[in-house]
Amino acid sequence: MAEEILNTPQYDDAALEKEYREKRKEQIEEDMKKPFDPDCVLEVRHLRKCFPMKKTITGKVTKELVAVDDISFKLKAGETLGIVGESGCGKTTSGRAILKLHEPSGGQIIFNGEDITHYNSSQMRALRKEMQIIFQDPYSSLPPRSTVGGILSEPVKVHKIVPKNQIKDYVLELMDKCGLRDYYYERYPHEFSGGQRQRICIARALSVNPKLVICDEPVSALDVSIQAQIINLLKKLQRERNLAYVFISHDLSVVKFISDKIGVMYLGAMMEFGTKEDIFRNPLHPYTKALFSAVPNPDPTAKTKRIKLEGDIPSPANPPKGCRFHTRCPYAKEICKHIPPQYKEYEEGHFAACHLLDGE
Amino acid sequence: MEELKNEEQVSQETVDTELPLDKNVRLMSPTQMLLRRFFRSKLSIIGLVMVIGLFVFSFLGPLVYTQWGETDLDESGKLEYTTSTTTYTVDGVEYTLHQTVEKTMKDNFLAAPSAEHPLGTDNQGYDVLARLMYGGRVSLLVSFMTVILLTVLGVIIGGIAGYFGGAIDNIIMRICDILMCLPGIPILLIISSAMDGWVSLGWVEENMRIYILMLFLTMISWPGTARLVRGQILSLREQEYMVAAEAMGFSTGRKIFKHLVPNVMPQLIVQMSLSLGSMILYEATLSYLNMGIKAPYTAWGSMINIITTDPNILQNYLNVWVPAGVCIVIAVLGFNFVGDGLRDALDPKGRR
Amino acid sequence: MSTKNKSYLTGREIRAIAKENAKIVKRLEAYKNRKAEESEFLTQMQDESNILEIDNLHTYFFTEQGVVKAVNGVSYSVPKNAVVGVVGESGCGKSVTSMSVMRLIQGPAGQIVDGAIRFKSHEYKRDEKGEPVKDENGNYEMEDKTYDIAKMPISEIHRIRGKQIAMIFQEPMTSLNPVFTIGEQLDEVTFIHIPDATKEMAKEKSYEMLRLVGIIPENVYDRFPHELSGGMRQRVMIAMALAAEPRLIIADEPTTALDVTIQAQILDLLQDIKNKIDGSILLITHDLGVIAEMADYVVVMYAGKVIEQGTVYEIFQNPMHPYTIGLQKSKPTMSLDDGTELYNIPGNVPNAVNMPAHCYFKERCAKCTAKCSGDYPGMIQVSPTHFVACHLYSEEDSSNG
Repeated sequence: MAEEILNTPQYDDAALEKEYREKRKEQIEEDMKKPFDPDCVLEVRHLRKCFPMKKTITGKVTKELVAVDDISFKLKAGETLGIVGESGCGKTTSGRAILKLHEPSGGQIIFNGEDITHYNSSQMRALRKEMQIIFQDPYSSLPPRSTVGGILSEPVKVHKIVPKNQIKDYVLELMDKCGLRDYYYERYPHEFSGGQRQRICIARALSVNPKLVICDEPVSALDVSIQAQIINLLKKLQRERNLAYVFISHDLSVVKFISDKIGVMYLGAMMEFGTKEDIFRNPLHPYTKALFSAVPNPDPTAKTKRIKLEGDIPSPANPPKGCRFHTRCPYAKEICKHIPPQYKEYEEGHFAACHLLDGE
Repeated sequence: MEELKNEEQVSQETVDTELPLDKNVRLMSPTQMLLRRFFRSKLSIIGLVMVIGLFVFSFLGPLVYTQWGETDLDESGKLEYTTSTTTYTVDGVEYTLHQTVEKTMKDNFLAAPSAEHPLGTDNQGYDVLARLMYGGRVSLLVSFMTVILLTVLGVIIGGIAGYFGGAIDNIIMRICDILMCLPGIPILLIISSAMDGWVSLGWVEENMRIYILMLFLTMISWPGTARLVRGQILSLREQEYMVAAEAMGFSTGRKIFKHLVPNVMPQLIVQMSLSLGSMILYEATLSYLNMGIKAPYTAWGSMINIITTDPNILQNYLNVWVPAGVCIVIAVLGFNFVGDGLRDALDPKGRR
Repeated sequence: MSTKNKSYLTGREIRAIAKENAKIVKRLEAYKNRKAEESEFLTQMQDESNILEIDNLHTYFFTEQGVVKAVNGVSYSVPKNAVVGVVGESGCGKSVTSMSVMRLIQGPAGQIVDGAIRFKSHEYKRDEKGEPVKDENGNYEMEDKTYDIAKMPISEIHRIRGKQIAMIFQEPMTSLNPVFTIGEQLDEVTFIHIPDATKEMAKEKSYEMLRLVGIIPENVYDRFPHELSGGMRQRVMIAMALAAEPRLIIADEPTTALDVTIQAQILDLLQDIKNKIDGSILLITHDLGVIAEMADYVVVMYAGKVIEQGTVYEIFQNPMHPYTIGLQKSKPTMSLDDGTELYNIPGNVPNAVNMPAHCYFKERCAKCTAKCSGDYPGMIQVSPTHFVACHLYSEEDSSNG
């Protein structure tokens, strides 16, 4: 350890950070000018979302929490992007920022070839039927005082998906597709179990025929056997309607099962991004590796060696300097403590942000 | 082949979520659950009986008890005896003179309870029972109107504050703070004396006084409801179904009135029934202070006010003013009991 | 009544249920609050190598909508120095069983109706006045007693709760008292547990416990719970559970609320502790992975019944009950090869009101036979340690033996 410190140059943090920032700014500006990819349903470029933490009396923000710091990806129709990460990594915030349920603080969101980043609320309202969201908690995401029929027909009515006299038939057909019996129409949400409620949520999201659905931990609150049903349902609906999913979850095995591309997030930043095969066959980032080895294996004979991560996840309000992961990284070097690593493409379509990959 | 078949079966099962086992299970409907919770407590039943009883008494009573109307004076006449004793001394002997003067009065006032007047008559000769019924109409009506107005005002203002937040919320809440500092009764006293002038100028009718006063009361007492609504909306706004409503692209009006307000309703109903009690008290206080409805019309508070005219009535003619007091007590208690019962019944924590 | 309301109870039925419930609950509450001599709830273990034996336990909840048989005849035992994992989906009664062992079932609705919970405690010998007895050397004498927890009056439960059996809860955020420091809360355990403990003793013990769970004691002893992260709090909870040197630790979903990497830390810690302490762990979880890593014996529960139990190898390598098999298949694995569809068990976990007489899993079972419509299947012994409750194996059993 002492040797390492002696052999490595001393870093001037402030100067390095300034240099890094300027470089990043240039790169972001350059990326933003690039033409939109016409094949993609959704393209996210350098998305950033900050929440004010401290304000002066005049309303000037003096300290902010960077919940999502610079994430980028592209998503085609019929594809699923899985976002994995632990609590506080900003995966839920990024999901909501993509739908502009949180106003993004920076970057670009391109939906269907249109830059929607600066759309106002009435422009967004018209777009809402194209993009939908499914929540984690099936108990709080359904209004308690409406019947299932009321919940499902309201968006159809508002967005005038079908003529008024056909609404009920349309809803019943949709319910059938999502595995809900027709006599549920008159029932209230509290009469259902978690799995059935999640089906209602899915039906509600699909009632407006969206192209993109953000699934925010849709199976985390469910039992294993019900999880499998919901995942299969989501996959079936994706095949039938050519939906694009952004599937947010902390459960690696679920994400792996449903996704085509996977992004691994840690403390608001994308650590690694690639196709499912890339990420699982050849994980580059030490955090991804540690995350994989931390999943308990349901096979008592296979005693896998864990990459043990020491310590706790730092607070997103106060992220560590340099690489965000260095406080827990078993391979951290001196450079990691000072300079944030570049998010770069190492193989085709396989991105990562780690100094270790740059070699000596 | 075997595998293929299996897979087919699996995808078929994906849609099959309900099974006969679940069909055996019968739950309570939401209404049943509510009623069950409400009627579990004896007090809320008593409260409900009290409140319904008073309504029947005030609004249907006069249809049955038709002998006397609100403004009918019992003009059957009454003999009033005044006794006086004079002592004087003549030649050292003391004489006492007992003198009884019999006077025939036009009105049968302060009659004792009898078959004709079950609760007797008051100092003017009005039938107490009939006045009690008509007075109840005024008291209940005034407090109901006030509470409804109060609630509408509170919901709109509190809803705006809660939903939009930020500077609007700040301003509204500061106004609330200021209004909550104002003492109700003294302000009403001032307004009432100001109104004396308006009445003499003919701007307002004397009998409208109580309604106008209660209107002012509404103006200064909406902050309680507004705060309640704001607090509820602030917490409901964070619920995921509200985020879902936002993601669905519903308009602001729809979000507020179709999704937020119905979910504030339970708390609102509780608040309303509790404030009904206090409004009845306010009305009684104002009437008692002679700021209420004027003779020949009456309200419960005015009926108690009679005791201020003659201490003799306070002591010896309980039948004139006690019934009105009892009615007020029953009304306030009844509304409070119902409110408490409703709160328990609608408490989301108690919900399964 | 219209058709849509057929699924609701009628007012008369509701009143009948309420009346019936009130009667039973009154009797059970009286039994729970009675005064009783110690001899009434002392008993003998069936197998002396066990520390806890749950025998035909029935814990019901008397709700307004009917009787929920949350635990409906559960029997399993926890051997000395072993980790027993109880696995099942929500509503299967796994937590209610453990709460029954701690007698933490919320009355008056929840009641232990029938069954025995035998627990072998190792406690200070006490004289008639309840004072601990010292031997010649001035040390406290210890003695073994076997209690039937289900029969104990609630006022006697303090003998066991927290001292002999400790519990680690799922939610580390709410299970520590926010107004006391970690040190104060840890010391208190020692004060309660050891007669005439001094302040220094308690602090020393707390430090030792914190070190045991991998925390540098100086860093947290004087901190308040809100200053710690979730993982740290769970460690403190474990330290608290260990401080009383319990014979049995019940860990109810100890890692469910934690992140994967923190979960891995806590699991490693529990593994480590399991070898260090002289006691058993009853681990309750819905995560098969956690069970496979931690447990020696596994109990699989479904709808208030034990449907399969055995050693961890038997359950994971040779699962027999269709539910156990389905559960293992429906979890996507970390290996890359899988098809487009995930295996799933159709339907939902049945509502525990009005359970049928036949096997509860029948409607969701892909392998059900004509026999399944008959009585509820009994426990069939497959190997000395492996039991399964399924008609599929009863035929084999009868033809073989």
